[in-house]
Amino acid sequence: MSSVTQFRGVNPWRQTYWDGRAVGNFVGGGTGTGFLAIAAAAALAGAPARFLALVGLVFVGVGLTCVWLEIGRPWRALNVFLNPRTSWMSREALLAPVVFGLGGLAVLFDSTAALVAAAVVGLAFLYCQARILQAAKGIPAWRQKEIVPLVITSGLSEGFGIFLVAAPLLVESMPLWPSVLMLVVLGARFVALRAYVARIAGGAVPKASAKALLQVAPAVIYGGHLAPAVLLILGAALDQWAIAALAGLLAAFAGWWFKFAIIVKAAYTQGYAIQHTPARTPGYAGAGGHPGW
Amino acid sequence: MSGAGPAEVRKVPTYCYQCVAGPDLLTVRVEDGVPTEVEPNFGAEDIHPAHGRVCVKAFGLIHKTHNPNRVVTPMKRTNPKKGRHEDPGFVPISWDEALDMIGGKIKAAMDKGLVDESGFARIAASFGGGGTPTYYLGTFPAFLAALRHIDFSFGSGQGVKCYHSEHLYGEFWHRAFTVAADTPNCNYVVSFGSNVEASAGTCGVWRHADARERGIKRVQVEPHLSVTGAASGEWVAIKPKTDPAFMFAMLHVLVCEHPVEHLDVPFLKHRTAAPYLIGPNGFYLRHADSRKPLMWDAKANAPVTHDAADVDPALLGSFEVANCVEVGPDEQVWTHDRVVGETAHAKLVAHMRPHSPEWASAICDVPASTIRRVANEFLDHAQVGATVEIDGRTLPYRPVAVTLGKTVTNGWGGYECCWSRTLLATLVGGLEVPGGTLGTTVRLNRPATSRQLSAVPGPDGFMNYPMNPTDKDNWHRQPKSRSGYSTLVPLVANSAWSQALGPTHLAWMFQKEPPQGWPKPTYPDVWFMYRTNPAISFWDTPRLTETMADFPFLVSFAYTHDESNHMADVLLPDATDLESLQLIRIGGTKFIEQFWDHQGFALRQPVAAPPGECKDFTWIATQLAKRVGLLEAYNKAINRGAAGVELSVGNKNFALEPEKEHSVETIWDAVCRAASAEISGGEDSEGLDWYKEKGFRVTPMSRLDWYLYPTLADQGLRFEMPYQERLYRIGLELANRMHENDMHWWDTQLDEYQPFPVYHDVPGVWSKVLVKVGKDPKDYPFWLLTARSMQYAWGGNVGVQMIREVAMNVAGHNGVILNPRTAEALGIEEGDVIEVASHLRSVKGQAVLRQGIRPDTLLMIGQFGHWKTPLAKDFDTPSMNSLTPMELDLTDSTGSGADLVRVSVRKVKGGAQ
Amino acid sequence: MTKYVLVSDLRRCVGCQTCTAACKHANGTPPDVQWRKVLDIEVGEFPDVSRVFVPVGCMHCDEPPCQEVCPTTATFKRADGIVDIDYDKCIGCAYCVMACPYQARYKVDGPSWAYGEQTALEKQRPYDKRIGVAQKCTFCVDRIDEGVANGLTPGVDPAATPACVNSCPSAGLIFGDLDNPDSNVSKLLRENETFRMHEELGTGPNIYYLWERRS
Ligand SMILES: Nc1nc2c(c(=O)[nH]1)N[C@H]1C(S)=C(S)[C@@H](COP(=O)(O)OP(=O)(O)OC[C@H]3O[C@@H](n4cnc5c(=O)[nH]c(N)nc54)[C@H](O)[C@@H]3O)O[C@H]1N2
Ligand SMILES: Nc1nc2c(c(=O)[nH]1)N[C@H]1C(S)=C(S)[C@@H](COP(=O)(O)OP(=O)(O)OC[C@H]3O[C@@H](n4cnc5c(=O)[nH]c(N)nc54)[C@H](O)[C@@H]3O)O[C@H]1N2
Ligand code: SF4
Ligand code: SF4
Ligand code: SF4
Ligand code: SF4
Ligand code: SF4
Ligand SMILES: [Mo]
Repeated sequence: MSSVTQFRGVNPWRQTYWDGRAVGNFVGGGTGTGFLAIAAAAALAGAPARFLALVGLVFVGVGLTCVWLEIGRPWRALNVFLNPRTSWMSREALLAPVVFGLGGLAVLFDSTAALVAAAVVGLAFLYCQARILQAAKGIPAWRQKEIVPLVITSGLSEGFGIFLVAAPLLVESMPLWPSVLMLVVLGARFVALRAYVARIAGGAVPKASAKALLQVAPAVIYGGHLAPAVLLILGAALDQWAIAALAGLLAAFAGWWFKFAIIVKAAYTQGYAIQHTPARTPGYAGAGGHPGW
Repeated sequence: MSGAGPAEVRKVPTYCYQCVAGPDLLTVRVEDGVPTEVEPNFGAEDIHPAHGRVCVKAFGLIHKTHNPNRVVTPMKRTNPKKGRHEDPGFVPISWDEALDMIGGKIKAAMDKGLVDESGFARIAASFGGGGTPTYYLGTFPAFLAALRHIDFSFGSGQGVKCYHSEHLYGEFWHRAFTVAADTPNCNYVVSFGSNVEASAGTCGVWRHADARERGIKRVQVEPHLSVTGAASGEWVAIKPKTDPAFMFAMLHVLVCEHPVEHLDVPFLKHRTAAPYLIGPNGFYLRHADSRKPLMWDAKANAPVTHDAADVDPALLGSFEVANCVEVGPDEQVWTHDRVVGETAHAKLVAHMRPHSPEWASAICDVPASTIRRVANEFLDHAQVGATVEIDGRTLPYRPVAVTLGKTVTNGWGGYECCWSRTLLATLVGGLEVPGGTLGTTVRLNRPATSRQLSAVPGPDGFMNYPMNPTDKDNWHRQPKSRSGYSTLVPLVANSAWSQALGPTHLAWMFQKEPPQGWPKPTYPDVWFMYRTNPAISFWDTPRLTETMADFPFLVSFAYTHDESNHMADVLLPDATDLESLQLIRIGGTKFIEQFWDHQGFALRQPVAAPPGECKDFTWIATQLAKRVGLLEAYNKAINRGAAGVELSVGNKNFALEPEKEHSVETIWDAVCRAASAEISGGEDSEGLDWYKEKGFRVTPMSRLDWYLYPTLADQGLRFEMPYQERLYRIGLELANRMHENDMHWWDTQLDEYQPFPVYHDVPGVWSKVLVKVGKDPKDYPFWLLTARSMQYAWGGNVGVQMIREVAMNVAGHNGVILNPRTAEALGIEEGDVIEVASHLRSVKGQAVLRQGIRPDTLLMIGQFGHWKTPLAKDFDTPSMNSLTPMELDLTDSTGSGADLVRVSVRKVKGGAQ
Repeated sequence: MTKYVLVSDLRRCVGCQTCTAACKHANGTPPDVQWRKVLDIEVGEFPDVSRVFVPVGCMHCDEPPCQEVCPTTATFKRADGIVDIDYDKCIGCAYCVMACPYQARYKVDGPSWAYGEQTALEKQRPYDKRIGVAQKCTFCVDRIDEGVANGLTPGVDPAATPACVNSCPSAGLIFGDLDNPDSNVSKLLRENETFRMHEELGTGPNIYYLWERRS
């Protein structure tokens, strides 16, 4: 079949190079590092480090595998370390082995100290992920500064959420503090999300991009924050872990879903703009425009 | 790029003539024998109006050459049944078999006598787009010349759909087969749908860009904001086909709202028929004996003949003249011993009085103030009285022009528009002078190589014109071709080009229903077709395709399979643009913006070996000539100049031995030598090798050759403006002839022969046609138009992937352009699939919403709708050509029609978005 | 110092796409990869509409976000301003594609042929090095380097000038050295009004759009 070009036009279009696999990295990395964070706390509180570290690493690992599957020249992947000077992707990549090294020790020796260390580096890793998106100047929905707190709080919420699901498998009686922490990061993500959405609605991105985000925003805000919050309180009141677990799942899922929305659905390009229309007869210039905005 | 670099790199000069706006010069980069890149010919920087640049279409030649969908062996049809839905079952055959087959058919035709029982040639040939195939045909024209009788009247859309009326009236009034503004010197252009930025090639693009930077103002008057409208100072969104009203109003402003002193009075008095006196019967008052038209000399206060020396002819007023005559049709004479004659200019003023901008405003849907302003800006910029020196000669300088596009010059309204355009120039003295309105080529008058030489004295102080006869004894009662060009259209003349410029759609229509008094239709025994695709390009294409299917024997030169050669009996694969040999004339003044400061010759040469069995046209022509026993006549035709240059120049003789068969290289070497001799005044005789290395050879030419005014002034001739006595008389004579023969089906056309065009409701003609076929015009509320694409040469390069790829960057190539307001009213969104229907049938396509189009108008770019051509058949881009009817009622007196039609629109389904 | 920039005279451009094609020829890019292309933009509403043709491609930014994000340093900026890509270093992460606010970058995952099957042209112009990595306008860096090495002046001598610039039938693309006050581009910028696209993003783009003469 010969190649019959289809029409593209001048409006911003949805980038197609980063797909579900890229989302996988942000979901895995976010959830994994968030999980390591709360897992470290749990370990300090006496929970078994080995299993918790393993779960966290699996998430981060799956995420990184996704990226590896996405890049065009996987066998040159090691070049990714070459630009820590300016590239948040290099920085993320450099931290990954550290997280795995420390996490690995935690698994091997069931070491809480190692897990705590891994969690700390994990948080740095999570910060890199947030900055990766912000540095992508070509995608208005990503480059907003509000994306950083959003990605961080979301990573934490996702990780904490999964912890609420996984924890009951380790300890026979679940303490209250994880639910409290969950509530706290949820609250933080709620604030970050509102700020981000306000920016989007404020015309910081192309029309199509805003449309895509604002479509899912309400469901994420309510289904992903208010609902779990209520469930957490309910779970605590009725002392029902299952309810807390459900809340955690909701919180995590909301984060994943919104990341998918941001990275795939709303990832419209900057488009093109002209400041003036040219004077085809001297004196006949006019005002410019920015199609799709 | 990976891999070692190319071992061997050559840069080969050649020319491109894919569209009529050529030729342009390029070089092709060839790596290890593979053509890889097109580049400008920087060696031509100083002599080519576009500084050696070529357009995107020329870049497409690389991909055209490498197209794997090409037909690369001769083929014959195995399925005798023809039709769109029949598989022709083409099978490869040898050249010998193919040539024997064709030769046999031609011989048979020759034996029967080349003209059949109906008086039509048994052999027909159709060539495409604007005559450009000539520049690829090699010596094939010599073969056709040897055959003598050929019917060229099966049209492909060129001619009747081109600037047709302009071709005819243009040549009549100022040897202007095509008309252009003197862009390099012009300051103000009113363009009625002349889409030069897309249609005038690289020379147009370069010159207009320079002009814009210089400060030209172009007002683009058209219903859709074309590429040219985009690059204009102002866009006026006129209602389709109402241009005559706009131009009449401009004339009104000039002659009714300004005193005559504001116009170019000396020009009108001495270079036009404005002072000629018109008698009561509508003909010039003439001297009783000499029969020369009379003027009124204000000095002597007496009538004088048009050629009287130092007189001051009155432009305005009525004057009583003693014993004079009027000469009507068929030598009918009115003798007056005392009669009042009115000057043509005075009659013009009266004729234009009702046509005020206010009147036009309602018709054109353009504010009267805009029309009046444009008319006054036109007059102001004309600088009446100014002069300029060109090569030592002082000429009037009038930097204003009006230009017309094909949908404006064509079909009904064409007469009004061409006349108004020429008259607007005339009134300010801007016809054929620096800065003004120029003709750029001749085709109907001889010699076709020089407008100046073709301007010879004729009757009544005007240029001569080779009208087809309308008098009793000489009128062609028996049509000379199936289109009856010389019978029905006196203006189309009788040159080598005239047949192809006749009412070529009639040849198709009359094949099925011949009108009263027409010979019995007959199919040509053999029909040659090259670089044309009527099944896509013409009107009512499905019907036309059926007619083609009935032709007994079609020989098609084939680049790829396409919709027309689907009906062929034999396909012949020619070596294409970059694979074959030909020398052509360049420079001088040619189509559209191709007027140069140099003239000479350029070579097209093989940059790569043709694939498979593709053969050079000259080889094919020679073999055919040999097969049918016409080798001698063929060689003699070449010697006479059928290959572009006469082979004996002065004392130098490069003629070919007539009896012998000559190789392609031998033939073109002779042509090259003759060309060198011609251009050097007999000095040089460089041959093929020289041109292969250098690519082209030119000599400087005086800019005076851009203008016809000096030629007329030198001969004391006048432009035949404003009054059209000659056309009026000829129309009446033609009417007599046809009515004598009980032919009344051409009467509407005959009514158009008026001394001044009479305004009639031009858009209304389309509604009338709908009513006639029993439809309600209200059901077809939109106009569907078409426009050129800079990336495409008609449908000539639709099979080239790269062209489609880059053309998609320009709006409209993916569907139907309509206004968002219209779309909203019909619930249509960007990308929706919509159905556009005329009373004939409907087509589907994607909605492309653009602000740059009137809400009552739709636009389909170019000509697509392919169902056979590889690649193109996978496009989703619809064409108007199956929707536009082929109708006598839509044919004007020059035999042309316009590419637009009334349609309805509805949403079919939601699109991609 | 040298700083190569491109001036696009929007008054002259007619959107013919000859430059688009010329780039495809000079650089042998696969179907639908257009390092240079020309947009067809409408501004305003009927009947007050303006239609503008805007050549775009890599702007060879002063502060290239593509380079900043590139984790491999495959994307680099030369002293003469040209932003280029080392295809052998690039891992094809497409992060630069996301970082470029001008949609100037492409990445193709495998070979694709204009007519479905590989033609002699495509065999002659292999682009396997560019598969799976980022690609974009290079300002015809090879022509420039070779030209300069032979003492030619980019933007003046065709052999040292970008193919798209050479090809333009409206002479609407002008290439040259902005650090040289006497260069064609410096002169144009002095005498005319220009703007640059998305300047507010701090990229320091180096295509200057000329829209009116300076009064
Ligand atoms: N690139 C390229 N150049 C070509 C050709 C080609 O195929 N490709 N073909 C050559 C040939 S053979 C020809 S005939 C010429 C044709 O050259 P043009 O006459 O310039 O042809 P178009 O672009 O078809 O003209 C259509 C324009 O007329 C406008 N129009 C349509 N209807 C009306 C109307 O009723 N009134 C007014 N005022 N405007 C109207 C449309 O908006 C459109 O802009 O081009 C020649 N040059
Ligand atoms: N909708 C619409 N229709 C139009 C027009 C319009 O503006 N709009 N314009 C009309 C006008 S003005 C004109 S002049 C006509 C022109 O229309 P045509 O005279 O039909 O010319 P083309 O469409 O260029 O025909 C090109 C054919 O030649 C073949 N071809 C191309 N290159 C070669 C080659 O190297 N060798 C061989 N053997 N064949 C080759 C192509 O495959 C194609 O089938 O179109 C008319 N039709
Ligand atoms: S304008 Fe026509 S002749 Fe000139 S290069 Fe383009 S296609 Fe060829
Ligand atoms: S070649 Fe020149 S005129 Fe044509 S689109 Fe490119 S910049 Fe514009
Ligand atoms: S235009 Fe895009 S690719 Fe080019 S330098 Fe700027 S950011 Fe990088
Ligand atoms: S795709 Fe290549 S050039 Fe682009 S950021 Fe990744 S490594 Fe750098
Ligand atoms: S400068 Fe060279 S690489 Fe860049 S767009 Fe022009 S031709 Fe292509
Ligand atoms: Mo035409």
